Amino acid sequence: MPGRIRGQLLKGTTTLLVLTVLREGELYGYEIAQRIRDNSGGAFVPNEGSLYPALHALEADGALEASWRESDRGPRRRYYKITKTGLEMLETHAQEWAAFSLGMSRAVAGPKQ
Amino acid sequence: MTIDWLPAFGFFGGGGALLITAVTLVRRCERRLGHRPDESGPPVTPGQTGADEISAYLDRMTTELRLPAADVAEVRAELVDHVHDSMASLEAEGFEPERAIREALGRLGPPAELGRQLRVAHQSTRRLLAGAGGGVIAAGGGFVLGYLGGIALGLLGFLAVFAVVALLAAAGVHLPNIIANDDGTTINSLLYATTLLVAAAVATRYAVRTSAGLSRRAPRTVAVFWAVAGALVFGWLAIFEMRGPQSWPGVALELCIPVVAIAAAFVRVERPMPHVGRWAIIVSAISLVVLSLGLVVSSGVSVSGSASGSATLPATSFEMSDLHLDTVAPMAPAAWLPEGIITGGGWGSDSTSGGTRVDDTVGADPAVPTAPSLKNWHEVRFEAWRALPMDEPGPGGIDTRYSAPLAIQPAVLSGNSLSAVFHFERLRDAGSWWVVLTAVGPDGHRYRIGDGGGGNSSFNGSAWDWLTAPQ
Repeated sequence: MPGRIRGQLLKGTTTLLVLTVLREGELYGYEIAQRIRDNSGGAFVPNEGSLYPALHALEADGALEASWRESDRGPRRRYYKITKTGLEMLETHAQEWAAFSLGMSRAVAGPKQ
Repeated sequence: MTIDWLPAFGFFGGGGALLITAVTLVRRCERRLGHRPDESGPPVTPGQTGADEISAYLDRMTTELRLPAADVAEVRAELVDHVHDSMASLEAEGFEPERAIREALGRLGPPAELGRQLRVAHQSTRRLLAGAGGGVIAAGGGFVLGYLGGIALGLLGFLAVFAVVALLAAAGVHLPNIIANDDGTTINSLLYATTLLVAAAVATRYAVRTSAGLSRRAPRTVAVFWAVAGALVFGWLAIFEMRGPQSWPGVALELCIPVVAIAAAFVRVERPMPHVGRWAIIVSAISLVVLSLGLVVSSGVSVSGSASGSATLPATSFEMSDLHLDTVAPMAPAAWLPEGIITGGGWGSDSTSGGTRVDDTVGADPAVPTAPSLKNWHEVRFEAWRALPMDEPGPGGIDTRYSAPLAIQPAVLSGNSLSAVFHFERLRDAGSWWVVLTAVGPDGHRYRIGDGGGGNSSFNGSAWDWLTAPQ
């Protein structure tokens, strides 16, 4: 494992990461952060201070829906669920990221010999 | 009488739809503002370990948040949950509880920055536009609701006053009758002003509630905008646009309307508004229909019943000297103005200016041409003099307590008619008047060349017209 990705590199990817993990099912804030870390094998640890603004912005844009209900363990939580708009947004972001990632890999690899 | 159904349906449908939409919007937004918490709201956080430190962090974050109360409560509850989860995880990793709190809060970053980012996330441009549009709709619906409420409040107020006066009279206490002989002007002006005042207050409060809820802004933040907008719009309506009978008490109340609009935007803004239930909406809708129907019917009647009068003298038995027309000027000598040249006329509403048009017919007899009839006369004019009311004992006529006319207008000759327009409706106390046609004769003195006739007028204009009316 190459180690944790630096915060600056994660900037701008929070939306993609959040939408990706919520595609699998409804989660609350702390679970989302944990799921991102687990799915990336510990490589991505989202900044908790930027996670909630991102979640609330996605909710304001109609990409997520939130509701308070009992959690499996402990008190009531605010669960987030991805919407149809959110799925469309995820597809767009994923395509953009794939293009960016490919271009970046080529650029970093340098000219072919 | 004809009813223009298109505007009538527009008024019924538009007003009713606006009202129902506004009530629905306000009720939805009140939940957002935290006045009516429902089952889906955030939990109340019980006291837990490190609660003071967490509260201090959240309090600092909240100062930057500036959101409606319900949103603030949700954000705080969500972050408390997050910190507790984070602390539990850290303690499982071996952190001491106190260190776990600091670490968990530290991972959230500076509280002010978190609050600022959350505010930006909530207060999107789309929500701001929704808040502005919803506020306008809610203001319209609130205006309709307030208008109906204002009418009810005004009528109840007057009934209460009359009941008190009647009770005092029964007890032998007689208050001075301040509204005697004003044709209901004082009551009408107070009723109109009360109606607009209540409508302005309800409309402004509805606008603030809806704008704050939809835009996710704190009510006090949007209240600044709506206070200014309400004061300008309703102030303009009250002072310049609302025309009708006026009185000093009514004008004073109208001048208060901008202040009331500002106060309604701020005062007790965090308290819930009275619950407007289904029956209130139904009663309001029915009232709106009845009121609108009444307005439509009465407007149809008033078209055919516009004010007019004849310049002929009262039919009661009296002497010409009882009219005191010589107060104005002596009658023209028959040698200079043969009988039959000025043959009377009348008065009525001037459709263009809304004033009172008076006219006298000249040379109705084809044998007597108009121009030669008046060739020896110049400075022909109508003079309106204050008069005694005709319904009092006696024939009325010129009120001899006055030595100058109430108003003067040059007579304009058109065809065989001499006419002028007076704006008695813009005089605060025009009351009864008598219009006489005068002119300067060959000897250079002014004479009456037509005895005219009289009528009654009351002020009809805006508060600004009242304040700037000539004395």
